[in-house]
Amino acid sequence: MTLEQFKDKIFSLAKANGVEAQIGYSQNKNFQVRYQNGEMDQYTDAGKFKITIQILKDGKIGMSYTERLDEPEKVFEDALSNISIIDSEDVEYFYDGKGEYLNIEPYDGSFERLSVKERISYAERAHEEIRKSADIINDMAVYGQQMNEMRLSNTLGLDVSYVSGGGFMYAMAVAKDLSPRSAVEFAIGRSPDALDPVHVGSKARDESLALVGSKSVKSGKYGVILRNDVFSDILGMLISMISAENAQKNLSPLKGKIGEKIGSDVLNIKDLPYHPLSISSSPFDTQGVPTKEKKIIENGVFKTFLHNLKTAKKDGVEPTGNAMGTGIQTINLYVEPGSKSFNELLETLSDGLVIIEIEGMHSGANPISGNFSLGAKAFRVEGGKITHGVEQITISGNFLEMLKNIEELGSDLRAFMGIINPSVLISSLDIAGNN
Amino acid sequence: MKRGEIVLERFDKPFVEEILATVIKYGGDFADVFVEDRYSTNIDLKNGKVELAQTGRMFGIGIRGFLDDKAIYAYTNDLSRENVLAVAKRVGEALGEVRLRDFSIDLRKKELYNKHFVLLKPEQVSKETKVGYMKKAYEAAKNYSPIIAQVVIRYWDYDQNVLIANSEGVFVTDNRVRTRLMINAVAVKDGQMESGFYGPGAGMGPEYLEKIDVEQAGIRAARIAVRMVDAQPAPAGKMTVVISNEFGGVIFHEAVGHALEASSVARGMSVFAGKLGQQVATECVSAVDDATIPNAWGSANIDDEGAPTQRIKLIENGVLKGYMIDKLGSRRMGMPSTGSGRRQDYTFAPTSRMSNTFILPGDHHPEEIIASVEYGLYAKTMGGGSVNPATGEFNFAVNEGYLIENGKISKPVKGATLIGKGYEIIQKIEMVGNDVSRGQGMCGSYSGSIPADVGQPTIKLREIIVGGRNA
Repeated sequence: MTLEQFKDKIFSLAKANGVEAQIGYSQNKNFQVRYQNGEMDQYTDAGKFKITIQILKDGKIGMSYTERLDEPEKVFEDALSNISIIDSEDVEYFYDGKGEYLNIEPYDGSFERLSVKERISYAERAHEEIRKSADIINDMAVYGQQMNEMRLSNTLGLDVSYVSGGGFMYAMAVAKDLSPRSAVEFAIGRSPDALDPVHVGSKARDESLALVGSKSVKSGKYGVILRNDVFSDILGMLISMISAENAQKNLSPLKGKIGEKIGSDVLNIKDLPYHPLSISSSPFDTQGVPTKEKKIIENGVFKTFLHNLKTAKKDGVEPTGNAMGTGIQTINLYVEPGSKSFNELLETLSDGLVIIEIEGMHSGANPISGNFSLGAKAFRVEGGKITHGVEQITISGNFLEMLKNIEELGSDLRAFMGIINPSVLISSLDIAGNN
Repeated sequence: MKRGEIVLERFDKPFVEEILATVIKYGGDFADVFVEDRYSTNIDLKNGKVELAQTGRMFGIGIRGFLDDKAIYAYTNDLSRENVLAVAKRVGEALGEVRLRDFSIDLRKKELYNKHFVLLKPEQVSKETKVGYMKKAYEAAKNYSPIIAQVVIRYWDYDQNVLIANSEGVFVTDNRVRTRLMINAVAVKDGQMESGFYGPGAGMGPEYLEKIDVEQAGIRAARIAVRMVDAQPAPAGKMTVVISNEFGGVIFHEAVGHALEASSVARGMSVFAGKLGQQVATECVSAVDDATIPNAWGSANIDDEGAPTQRIKLIENGVLKGYMIDKLGSRRMGMPSTGSGRRQDYTFAPTSRMSNTFILPGDHHPEEIIASVEYGLYAKTMGGGSVNPATGEFNFAVNEGYLIENGKISKPVKGATLIGKGYEIIQKIEMVGNDVSRGQGMCGSYSGSIPADVGQPTIKLREIIVGGRNA
């Protein structure tokens, strides 16, 4: 059975049963190679497809998925019978595809044209670069690329498709010291020339070497810079807080705060359907609703929650094109940069810490309360200059309080996993270290 | 046709032999396959109402080849004969060197002695019945206190049939069934919001829901949320910490377990590489990884490479005794596989992973341990954590914490994170309790997210850095 036949079968079953149906089809290609200490450690070259079915009946959706094209009846039955246990009062909808879609350039598949040799050379070159120092005792280099073809159609007339994809690199260097010192660097890009293995390797190497001799600092409150990669990690908390679904379910501390000041004057955050640095762009969300640019925080004022079809209807607003599976997600969370370079931020900070790595976001950060307490690595800044590495500390605080304490934003934009942001300077954060 | 038989019907011995032979014909000296047919159910209950119900099936094959200690992996779910053989050929070609010109593959079907008897297959129990248990847990959590504002309950089960074969003659099938209930309760008081979590699971069918007391499970999550909403921020700095049993074992999992996996040890990346036979922990510490415990969350008859699982002695009286080793790790380290090759599903190459990992019981009563502390933190319920095996630096969250003052548990504290270095922290375990038990979690690493038990008795750490707020 072809996909087209499968779709026709599902749609005709839907018609016969007096329900609406929606089919999502994704075809994924994935290549990844990992080197540990210059030896190939893992190599995967693969692809798969997945079909997701949603059946809509009396405002309720039942779902099922499969990886086989030979049993549309079973998949349909499953989805239909799943509706029977849904007793939520929420009303679900499908989208008819009649809105205006932005013309967003699809992924051109440029990484797919690289030979296997060219692909693995990214990891090999990063490894060679890291090992230019004899003080490196361990290293890891990863190169990967993926391509995802997505199609979404339903019985209301929606039929949209998009191809996304790109490549990424990751390098870790471990420098010799009484306790080994590790540092990581990554890069993503929509085309091969956006990835520079020498830059990725040398950044990881130089940072691990700079951490040699790291020590803890005294517990207390410090002015800090959250470097762009660290701020990006911590911004994951905001995505959960601005979900209308979480707000409606009393799981967001931003509930009822539209129009209120929740961040510092200098803070401006948007959600963008497209950004040239990102590999996460898309003209529609997973319900087929067109994506669009929107302000989330403007001069520190909270402007909007993000909606899917269901939450928008419930709040009596337009959907924002942010459905992501059964949840709600930004497309590209974009924090507007400031004017100061990273070095100028250091001078402004004068005395404090630059946080360069945090650990434990999945366990030590609670997006419901906004409280976080995370393991961290840092550099000590004295007199506007980095003086030494800092190990074995934690940073603690409340995410929303922290947004209010942002004094400056850097000009150093960086993209990762659908978040594009600069470094930020925070006036005060709790640090635990030595007594 | 029964689920398990469909795999064997599509992938009979002659076809599997042909796949393995195709890899080796084009390159490498070893090949294996992993065929998976998995049927899963997910149900979400929010505020007492079912909001999401999803069932689904994944069905695909992973094909792997080795040349010495180089490994190439590919997977597909286009299971047409031509495509599967083309993928096998690509794996062989990527290995780059034809090592075996004359070879024969003689697959011998091995019958397993099943140690993990499942009473009910997930599909034998109606969704309404499963929802019934979820609602019971919800009611109990919601009614625990008027300040419980929200309860989210997730139910997950799956029925996984696998066929594993390799060019050394292994040809084996297995069935793994798992069931889990995850409860998240949120308490709100004076504008403060805190949550509590409890997520019991087992390698059993939905009969597990009857075996545990789902109401008590709901109450447990609610109790944590209610206690913590009144808590003050935890103090910051180095102090003595007592970690309670069960999920407290996440500290050993993160701080030590990951660094004992062959994926870190084989290339010398782990701080524990080359330390077998050395005293790495205090004498009161002994720990094992045991995938043979009947019906435990992280158990299985065989690993995802077809090797029988074992109880592995990791540390005995403080001395490093063993690592968790998969097939590739075995080649790299020149040590036998310990049956530790695991993966999330066929889209991941297997690697060495933990199963049910825990510290063995010691002599002390938990009360005695707390009484020995003048001032410190009692970590009653732990959250998740993570580790960098190359440096041993770990962190994990305390979801329910209390101060210990003058040998007694005093006020609740929240927002504590514990950080340290694994090889240092196991030398600071001063007392080990007699109250060992295990808790369930999902462990994420190179080969994806897999069910794993952590566990320990109550333990006392002489000192560790607590990340809290400064007064």
